[in-house]
Amino acid sequence: MPNLNQDELAELVLKRVVASGAEYGDIRILDSTTQTISGEDRRIDSIRDMQDRGFGIRVLYHGAWGFAASSVLSLEEAPRVADLAIEIAKGSASLAIDKVKLADEPVHRDRIVTARRIDPFAVSLERKTALLLETMEYVHRQAGIVRSSASLWARRDRKLFVSTEGSRLEFDLLAVSGEYDATAIHDGRFASRTFNTPHLRMGYELIEDANFLAEAPRIASQAVEKVKAPTTAPGLYDLVLDPEHLSLTMHESCGHPSELDRALGYEANYAGTSFLTTEKRGTFRYGSPHVNLVADNCEPETLAATGYDDDGVACQRWDIVRDGLFVGYCTNREVAPVIGETRSRGSNRADSWGSVPIVRIANVGLEPGTATLDELLAGIKRGIYIEGHGSYSIDQRRYNFQFGGDAFWLIENGKRTHMVRDVVYHGITPEFWGSCDGVADRSHRRRYGFITCGKGQPGQSGWMSHPASHARFRNVQVIGGQAGS
Amino acid sequence: MTTIGHKTWPKLTSRNEFRFLADLVMKRSTGDQTLVALQDQQSGTTRFANNQIVQNVDTRRGSLSVTVAFGRRHGTASTTDFTAGSVQQTVTKATEIAQLSPEDPEYLPPAGPQQYSTPPTTRVETTLAGPARRLEYANEAIGQCRMENLGAAGILSSSIATVGVAASTGLFAHEERTDARFSLTVQAGEATGWGAAAHRSIDHLRVQERTLTAINKAKRGLEVRELPPGRYSVILEPSAVAGLWSALLWTLDAKDYDKGTSALSGKLGQPIVDRRLSLRNQPDHEDLLGIGFTSEGLPTLASDWMTEGVLTQLSYDRFTAKARGIDSIPTLDAPCLSGAGSSLPTLQELIKHTERAILVTNFWYIRAVNPTDLTLTGMTRDGTFLVENGQIVSAVKNFRFHESPLQVFNRVEAFTNPAEAITSETGKLLVPSMRLRDFNFSSVTRF
Repeated sequence: MPNLNQDELAELVLKRVVASGAEYGDIRILDSTTQTISGEDRRIDSIRDMQDRGFGIRVLYHGAWGFAASSVLSLEEAPRVADLAIEIAKGSASLAIDKVKLADEPVHRDRIVTARRIDPFAVSLERKTALLLETMEYVHRQAGIVRSSASLWARRDRKLFVSTEGSRLEFDLLAVSGEYDATAIHDGRFASRTFNTPHLRMGYELIEDANFLAEAPRIASQAVEKVKAPTTAPGLYDLVLDPEHLSLTMHESCGHPSELDRALGYEANYAGTSFLTTEKRGTFRYGSPHVNLVADNCEPETLAATGYDDDGVACQRWDIVRDGLFVGYCTNREVAPVIGETRSRGSNRADSWGSVPIVRIANVGLEPGTATLDELLAGIKRGIYIEGHGSYSIDQRRYNFQFGGDAFWLIENGKRTHMVRDVVYHGITPEFWGSCDGVADRSHRRRYGFITCGKGQPGQSGWMSHPASHARFRNVQVIGGQAGS
Repeated sequence: MTTIGHKTWPKLTSRNEFRFLADLVMKRSTGDQTLVALQDQQSGTTRFANNQIVQNVDTRRGSLSVTVAFGRRHGTASTTDFTAGSVQQTVTKATEIAQLSPEDPEYLPPAGPQQYSTPPTTRVETTLAGPARRLEYANEAIGQCRMENLGAAGILSSSIATVGVAASTGLFAHEERTDARFSLTVQAGEATGWGAAAHRSIDHLRVQERTLTAINKAKRGLEVRELPPGRYSVILEPSAVAGLWSALLWTLDAKDYDKGTSALSGKLGQPIVDRRLSLRNQPDHEDLLGIGFTSEGLPTLASDWMTEGVLTQLSYDRFTAKARGIDSIPTLDAPCLSGAGSSLPTLQELIKHTERAILVTNFWYIRAVNPTDLTLTGMTRDGTFLVENGQIVSAVKNFRFHESPLQVFNRVEAFTNPAEAITSETGKLLVPSMRLRDFNFSSVTRF
C-alpha cells in the first residue's frame, strides 16, 4: 500500500468503530496476487497476473452485523467505509431479534508464513509455459487425442487482521496447483482424463515434484481407453474410491452438512440447510464404525491451515464423525454459542477483503484405516474402482447425492481389470457412509481439496483440503450416465 | 468528472476518467497493441434468515486490466489500485509477461472502433438505492412471513457499475450498469417455497408479490406425499426451464462444435428442440439484463439463435469467427425463448389445463452427467407439487432427475408466454412455463 501505513489505517478505523458504541469491530487489509497460466490444444492462450488490494471492516453493533469494504486504500476512503459499516450495522440492529454474542477468544498477536522451498512467483514464465506446452505435446502424441488443456495457478495473500479486542495477525500465505487434461473422440463420443496436483499451501516444489511429463502418456492413453470402454449395467456394486474422488464425496456429503450456520438456517435461501440438525449431535449414526471424519486446520500445507481464521480464532483439530457417530460442527464465534459451545472452532473465512467471513468447511478428512489397497480390492467379487472427480450433485439438505468420476475400472474377483465408462452412483448420505467397510492405511493418504467451494450471497469461493486414503463401500446403486437411465 | 445517478460518493470511474486512464496506459505501453478493461462497482447485499438480518454488506471494488501484445505474444495484468504508480506497474507487468510468453497462433489484435447501441443498462432508482432501501425491502418480506408465522431467508441486493474497454486501435466503450436482485425462501416447518427477481430497476423487484408466491408454496408444502421415481408429465415453471436451457446455452461454443467435443456438433441447421420454440437475443429488452458491449469491446447484437426449433447460431471467440468468415459476432447476453402457436397465457392456465403432472418450481445443483448427449442431473427444490385435474392437490417429496434438454424439449405438450426467470445458478432469461411429457425422475430424496 503506497504511502500508507497499514497499522495507522487500522487504528484510524477501529477508533471510529469503538467511538460509535459498537461492541466489536475488525479490519482485514489484504493484498492478493494471483497468477494463472493456461493453455489449450498446444498453445498458451492466457497468462494473467492479478493484483487485488483492499480492506474490509466488520462492525457488531447492539448484536447485529455491518460490513463495508473498498479497494481504495486511502485516508479519505477509510473513514467513509468505517462509517458505512457502522451505519449498516445500526440498520441490521433495528431488525435484530436474537442478538449476536461472540464466543470468547484469547487475544492473539502473531505472524503466519507459508513454508515454501521455491517461490512460485520467482519461477520464470518461460519455464512454466515450456512445461505446459511440452505436457500438451506429450498428450497429443497419443493417437485418438483431439484436444488438451493445461494450467498452473499460484496465489499469494498478504493480510493484516486487527480487532478492537486487541488481536493483531499478519499473514503471508501461498497456495499452488497445476493440472492438465486430454480429450479423445471415438464413435461419436468424447471423453476426457485429467491429471491434477492437489491445491496446497506450499511453493512451486509441488509442481516440480508432480511429474507432469512422466504422467502425460498414461493420462492420454487412459483418455482413449475411457472413450472406447464399455458401459456398465445399472445395479448394486461394491465401490473402491480413491483419495481424490473421496475428497469431493466428503466435501459435499459431510463437509457441508457439518457447517453449523447451514444447520441453523443461515443458508436456507442459497446453499441450503443440513440434515445434521443440532439435536442429532452426539446421537446420530452418520456412518459405519470405520468412518472417522476429522476436521484438522492445523495440518501444515493444507488449505484451511492458516494459523487463524478471519474471526482471529486459532486453528484447531476436532472430530466431526467419531466411530460413525456425528459429534461436531464447523463453527465461528457467532454460531458456536448457539449450541452451547464456549469457543469457536475457527472456521470463519472470507474469500477476499471485499467479502464478509462466513462459516466454512474445515479440512475435513477421513482417518486412515488398516487395510492395503489390494486388501480392499481383494474382498470384492464384482465392483468398480473410481478415480478423480466427475459429475456431482446433491440436494440442499445433503441427503440425496450423485457422483461420477474421472476414470472407472471394473473390479472382478478381487482384481482391477479394464476401464468402463459413464458410471455414476447415487445414494442417501448416512446409508452410503453406513456401507463403508474398510479404509486403507496412512501410506495411501492424499490431500486433495478445493478452492471453488461456492457458498454465501454474494457468492464466495471457499478453500479447504479433504485428506483421505482409499475406502470401500458395499452395495451402492450405480446408474448409467445417459438420459433416461 | 461525472457521478453516477445522484450519488456524490464514492464516485465510480466516469467515461472521461476512464478515457484519461486508458490514454495513460496507451502512452506508457510499448506494445504493438494494448487493451484496457475497466470494472468499477459498488454493490450491497442485505441478507436475512430466521426472520432477521444475518449479513449486511457493501463493497466498492474497482479493477483495471491491461493486455499488452508484441506480435502474437500477449500478457495481461490487473490491479485494483488506480493510482498512477500502480497503473504504471500494471503496464510494466503486462509488458514483461507479453515479452516472455510464447507466440499464440490464435491471437488477434483488438477490434477497431465500433458502433454501439445503447441498451437500457442503468436505472437511476437503483443508483440511489443504498443500505436503507435494501433494509426496507428485506423488512417487508420478513414482515409478511412473520404475520403468517413462517420463516424468511433471502437477499436484497443492488449494485452500480461502470464498465469500459479501450484499445490502441481506437476502440472505446464505456457504460453504466445497475442491477437489483431479490430472492426469498419461505420455511413452513419442513416445507419451503421460493421466489426470485432480478432487474436493472430496484423498483421492478415486486417484493410483496413474490413474497406472497413463496409463502403460498411453503404453506402448500405442509402436507407432503412421496411418489415413486419414474417418468412423469411435468409442468416446469420459468426458473426450472431456465435451469435446463442455461446448460444448453453453455454448449454453443463454436470451437467445441468444430472439434467435435460438443453435444451439438453436426447439428447446426438441424432441429434440436420442438419446432414451436425459438431463441432470440434481445439486448434492448427492458426486462432482461442486456449490455452494450462485450469484455472485448464488441457490440452486443439482437440475433436469432434457434428458429422454429432449428439451431441457427453458435457462440464464437474472435479467432474461430474469423476462421469461419464471420464479421459480426452474435452475443447471448439477453436470451428470450418463446413459443409459437397455441400457447396458454399464464402458468395458472397451464395448470388448469393439465390432467396430471408434477409441478416444479425450481431445479438445484444442475450438472452435466454425459457431455456427449448433454444428459444433466439435478434436484427439484422449494416447491414440488402434484397437479391433478387442473389443480394442485399436494406437495411431493423432491426428485432427482436425469434428462437431456436435447431430448426433453422435443417432448413439449404446452407452454405459456415468456416470463422472467432467474435462479441462483443462472443468469436472467425470459422463458415460458412448459408442460413436458415423460420427464425422467430417477430417485427421490427424504423431504
